[in-house]
Amino acid sequence: MLNFKELPAVKKQLMKCVRCGKCRSVCPVFEEIKNETVAPRGHVFMVQMLRDGQVAPSRQVGEHLSNCLLCETCTVNCPSGIDIHELNAAARSYVYDKNKNAAKDLLFDKFWTNPSLIAAGVKCMSFAQKLGLQTLFRNIGLTKLLPGDLSKAEKILTSAPSRSARSRLAPVNAAKKDKKLRIGYFLGCATNVLYPDVALATVKVLVNNGCEVIIPENLKCYGLPHIANGKIGAARELMIHNIKEFQKYDPDYIITDCASCSSALESKNLEFLFAGSPYEESARQLSEKVMDLCVLLIEVLNIKIPEGSRASEKEPSPKITYHDPCHLVNAQGVSKAPRELLQRIPGAEYREMDLAQRCCGGSGTFSLTHYDLSMKILDRKMKSAQKTGADIIATNCPSCIMQLKHGVRLHNLSAQVKHPVEIISDFY
Amino acid sequence: MEISAIKSELIKILGKDKVLTDDLDLMYYSYDSSFLTKLHPKAPYAVVMPRSTGEVQKVTRFAYENNIKIVPRGAGTGETGGCIALEGGIVFDLSSWNDIDEIDAANMQVIVRPGVIHAELNKELNKKNLFFPPDPGSSLMCTIGGMVANNASGLRAVKYGCTEQYILGLEIVLPNGEIIKTGGQKTKCIKNVSGLNLNKLMVGSEGVLGIITQIRLRCWPKPKARGIAMAVFDDLDQAPAAVLDVYQSGILPSGIEILDSSAISAVNQYKPEINLPRAEAILLFEVDGNPPSVDYEGSLIKEIAGKRAVSVEWATDPQRMNELWEGRSVTATAAARVRADGTRVFAGEDIAVPLDKVADTLRQIRALAAKYDILVVNYGHIGDGNVHTAPVINPEVPEEVEKVQQLVHEIHLLAIELQGSTTGEHGVGAVRRQYAELEHGPAVKYMQGVKSVFDDKGLMNPGKLF
Repeated sequence: MLNFKELPAVKKQLMKCVRCGKCRSVCPVFEEIKNETVAPRGHVFMVQMLRDGQVAPSRQVGEHLSNCLLCETCTVNCPSGIDIHELNAAARSYVYDKNKNAAKDLLFDKFWTNPSLIAAGVKCMSFAQKLGLQTLFRNIGLTKLLPGDLSKAEKILTSAPSRSARSRLAPVNAAKKDKKLRIGYFLGCATNVLYPDVALATVKVLVNNGCEVIIPENLKCYGLPHIANGKIGAARELMIHNIKEFQKYDPDYIITDCASCSSALESKNLEFLFAGSPYEESARQLSEKVMDLCVLLIEVLNIKIPEGSRASEKEPSPKITYHDPCHLVNAQGVSKAPRELLQRIPGAEYREMDLAQRCCGGSGTFSLTHYDLSMKILDRKMKSAQKTGADIIATNCPSCIMQLKHGVRLHNLSAQVKHPVEIISDFY
Repeated sequence: MEISAIKSELIKILGKDKVLTDDLDLMYYSYDSSFLTKLHPKAPYAVVMPRSTGEVQKVTRFAYENNIKIVPRGAGTGETGGCIALEGGIVFDLSSWNDIDEIDAANMQVIVRPGVIHAELNKELNKKNLFFPPDPGSSLMCTIGGMVANNASGLRAVKYGCTEQYILGLEIVLPNGEIIKTGGQKTKCIKNVSGLNLNKLMVGSEGVLGIITQIRLRCWPKPKARGIAMAVFDDLDQAPAAVLDVYQSGILPSGIEILDSSAISAVNQYKPEINLPRAEAILLFEVDGNPPSVDYEGSLIKEIAGKRAVSVEWATDPQRMNELWEGRSVTATAAARVRADGTRVFAGEDIAVPLDKVADTLRQIRALAAKYDILVVNYGHIGDGNVHTAPVINPEVPEEVEKVQQLVHEIHLLAIELQGSTTGEHGVGAVRRQYAELEHGPAVKYMQGVKSVFDDKGLMNPGKLF
């Protein structure tokens, strides 16, 4: 595998930064902190200093680099065409390799690579919540003993369901009516354990639209949390495992309901992970089949949502707004399909929010490691959402769903946060 | 005073949240957009982020009493090293001090703090049907304070001029901590010839006289209509000639921009949807005003420029106009797209020449680029003779760095030889001060004398301007 200094982004792109500062005008973190130490061009500068040996890869440098959501807003706005988030991720990994942390290794190498352990962990959490232990621990101040921002961030995790999606879904789900496509469903960890209803809705909508849905049993995490936390090697191993799993089924498309999962599997990211690797070609082939669920429903299947069969017809028609997950709109350029899908919902009224494409501050583990900063970014998002007067804030990324649900609680809003597929599954 | 003592004193004065003292944090203040700091970044002793005139005054007094140099900084988008503490000292990061104190629509003015972003200001003024006309390419990120310090202008300087024309008054903290107001202590009038014009002295002083803490700006009514004519040329020489033709027909467009063939290519690679035609040069004429006059001027430009151009497109559709104008405004950084293993460097990028010498200038720059075998992208505000040259090199190849520095030096000398200036709007900073004597002769001595009146200890942004 290529070392840090040989990575394509580091080798070819560093010198392209002219420090014009356009990234300062779009970065959600910069908007809150407003000094150069968090400007995306500052991260690019620090990566250059690291590469040139002007700065040692210390833990402190790692902390500076972590002040970035990896939301890719700077990347899509960079006039010089620099993949700023990739440079940051590559540098995080380089720094982490020199400053290993046993607890982090355990979390990302042992726990987060093992779906059974993740499911068991969430089950324990759910059990503890049912017994009221989470509330008890908060009341007696035990949660304050958690390290760093985690003592505050544990509040984001609430109401974990007792049963995972995987335990409620068959590995092979036959198409109702004529089979049009064979779909490999990349059921991500968060949807599986935290939002199983999204997975159930996904399968329900797909099989009702002529898709056979296969959920490979041995899938592991897609690796983005590992990339964000400086564990590129672990991310690469996970991806190789997943590539081999999908090769067994030869699906027409590989879909996911999670923007982060699909972004991790898309071509640019795989090139970053696999440059110079023997898996480069198979990774490329896999990425060509990867598609976000909403894109499949609109652009491939062009579904018509059946009218009059809504489960709860007596409810008034909802007003729906949409938040663009960064890993969908920035990483994959997808913004039309989810809106189109929501606008096809019979009787629903779609309301666009201001700055829908602005990050919600969730960004995977960012809200856990940088809770206070993440909440400031979330505040802006919740104000935009609230202004629409929507009953439902729709978004298609479990990390965003978790963050927005937390925002709804913090701001005492009555709106529900849902994946688009959850809303339309009511009509089937 | 030891640097560590300076740091702890600053924390005592402003509190921990408004001071950066950590060596790693300070490195982020070692650069701006200049090629100079790309090659030689230089970190300050400390960074302060004051949010009131009183806080600026406290730090300045401390620096004055202890003979510490001070350097004001906006968004760090300058191209001359002007906001870098090249001789050490304290950097004042004023970019987070972004309050719009008052929009006084009745008196056609706005009062702002130095960190307000240009585009944000115009967004707010737009709500009152007003605007602040100077339009730099860096509108989304540059600060009003930085614009005043550099007397910035941009794409619409042809009709609307530079920042200096809009300054009604300034609040300045001098190096000794004294606070003065230029343009009258209490006045809110928009016409004022009382006293020596210190507004004009301060505008473009690049931080060598004092720190700007408040700005009273003149605003103008926002024009109701706008249109853009794009003229395409297969002969570079015809483009400057068409500009002169348009002027002589009695029309004053709000902007006249040129992109040469390499700039066209860069824009198309950055934003393919803009789809500029391949040509030797493109001119973009922007006209604004009332709808009938915009239509009239547009059709006249089409007719006049059409005599020399291969084709002329007249656009009033907002989407197309935005595409064309955005295409021009991103050229500065998109220039790097013309070479896969290269980047544009901000050096020798801002000469201004008399209007009747633009064609000659462009020809000679091309010849110089060929002499040094360096790819060059040319674009700029041709309507006021301001040519932006973007050399595209691989800055990690020492021979290319050496060659580009020679090229840039020759471009600066060329500008002076052609009765022009080394800088039309970006300023002098550290990178062009070597030409001060050549450009201004004995006047430099008086410039230095003026500086010493305000800055008797020579602490304000040393090593800049002259």
